[in-house]
Amino acid sequence: MFLVIAWRNIWRNSRRSSVLISAVAAGVFSFLGLTAYMAGFSLQWIDASIRLQGGHVLIASQGYYANPMVRNAISDSRAVERAIADVPGAKSMARLQVAGILNSAAQASAVQITGVNPDQEWRNSPIPNSLTDGLYIEDPGDGIVMGAVLAEKLQVRLGERVVLIINDLSNELASVAVRVAGLYESSSRAMDERVVFLHRQDVQALVGFTDQEASTISVFLEREKDVESIAAGLRATLADPALEVLSWRDRLPMIVSMESMLGLISVLIVVILFAAIGFTLINSFLMVIYERMRELGIMMANGVAPGQIRRLIWLEASFMVCLGVVLGTALAAGLIAWWSQTGLDLSAFSEGLRSFGADTIVYPRLERTSVLAGYGTILVMITLAVAWPAWKASRFRVVDALQHT
Amino acid sequence: MQNSESSPLVQAEKVEKVYTQAGHMPVRALDDITLRIEPGEFTAVAGPSGSGKTTLLNLIGGLDQPTAGRVTVAGQNLGDLSRSALAAFRLNNLGFIFQAFNLIPVLTAEENAEFILLLQGISKAERRTRVERELEELGITSDMMRRRPAKLSGGQQQRVAIARALVARPKLILADEPTGNLDSTSGGRLLDKMRDLNERTGITFLFSTHDPMIIERAKRLVTLRDGRIISDDFR
Repeated sequence: MFLVIAWRNIWRNSRRSSVLISAVAAGVFSFLGLTAYMAGFSLQWIDASIRLQGGHVLIASQGYYANPMVRNAISDSRAVERAIADVPGAKSMARLQVAGILNSAAQASAVQITGVNPDQEWRNSPIPNSLTDGLYIEDPGDGIVMGAVLAEKLQVRLGERVVLIINDLSNELASVAVRVAGLYESSSRAMDERVVFLHRQDVQALVGFTDQEASTISVFLEREKDVESIAAGLRATLADPALEVLSWRDRLPMIVSMESMLGLISVLIVVILFAAIGFTLINSFLMVIYERMRELGIMMANGVAPGQIRRLIWLEASFMVCLGVVLGTALAAGLIAWWSQTGLDLSAFSEGLRSFGADTIVYPRLERTSVLAGYGTILVMITLAVAWPAWKASRFRVVDALQHT
Repeated sequence: MQNSESSPLVQAEKVEKVYTQAGHMPVRALDDITLRIEPGEFTAVAGPSGSGKTTLLNLIGGLDQPTAGRVTVAGQNLGDLSRSALAAFRLNNLGFIFQAFNLIPVLTAEENAEFILLLQGISKAERRTRVERELEELGITSDMMRRRPAKLSGGQQQRVAIARALVARPKLILADEPTGNLDSTSGGRLLDKMRDLNERTGITFLFSTHDPMIIERAKRLVTLRDGRIISDDFR
């Protein structure tokens, strides 16, 4: 009977109830939309960062990260790649890396020269697909691929020559003139300004690396959540103290921190959002109990216990919140389903997002745990928001409530 | 608990009720009231406005606490009970009829009558039987039973309130100005019905009133003035 009373009570002041239900629906809609956007953004940003910055697991010589010297290379990269090939769902990408100076007729810039195997790059790296002009490297001698912003800085155009200067393995200065084959624009402006790509054999010839050597070997996985177990497995398989096997979480602590911070921002926004709804509930239910004071007095006179009065108020609030949740969820689910197909285009903020290393099109996604956590928060919010009006109603002196008009 | 057959149903002993409000002089609503009501009585507490009639009914109904003295109903000192225990006591022992707006507006007439039985944990079949019987006996048709209070006349609402009080089979029904909002014909019929119920079922009725129709039908008339009993007449 309390369920019936609570349900029917909602429709006694349908305008106020509609406003309250709409407020809850708007809150839930915003919460789900924001959560889905943040989850999609975070996932894409992390994935893009991982792919740009060396894969899910990265293998290098011991101490390479602390001191990325040209001599500090993996001596038998083929053996490492064979071990990776045996891991289901894992693909490898070996690179040679060396610091150098890139000179044009007008300017010079410090760069990181990356020697690549084009086939592996096409399979794993986003760079071949990020070209804005020209072609990606296919064969030795095809030239250099650089960031469009770097080309602008050096005042060079496609097809023009630039000179690369490096310290080779004998610590002698070495240089080579190459043509600009392609210009890329990745999601990271910092990378575009600094990282240039040559065919692996061109870098081998310039620096003096052997065919077996590699500075780093990146491992790309089908499922990000397998990172730690696969990193541990590779450490055990390779069993080489000269090698360092690092997961992206070990290697990119800033991204881990940013991931936590994005989560924290989401939580804060959700708390603020639901606190606002909570105060709306408190206000509405204080009005409700004073409007129905005599009615509550009649119920209490007839034997309704204080706990049952509290439950009645709570049920009424719960019904309204549930209606708001269903409405908000339906609207949000529809919009998120659509956005997850088309993507949410934020190209208006492309400069800001690129400096952050993020894509301009975000594909929102709902994750069950965050949705359940949100609904749990709503439940706690109703309980807390209605606790005061409900407690107040249950503490009315029956005789005062009966005299209320 | 004492046996209600051999002891009074209501025993008020040296009851006082003083209302205090900040910045105002205390108001003594009841002063040294001692009253004993036996099971089966049909008693009216009469007196002018402000004489303390409603206050006395509120204390006997456990809706308010006396400033001094003690009120015992069905052997239970009401002052010993917590808020929850008092609610349970009212549920199982007392029925209330107020002057107006007695019913829960979102429930139909039959749901209103059923409400207390539901709180008492009575089975659905038993609830249906008792509610229909009482409502029919009080002249509420099956069409009226399905209407909400707003769609019933004042007299019909009061009859539903009486039915709600009766279905729960209380020991005592407290009626505060039950005919106050009714015309004399409806009020008279309602009182005859209550008197008839009192005689047939032995349920005790205690009225607070200044309505001559109730005073005329009461078997006992307690008169208050300025919070004191000035007469107590058995007819």
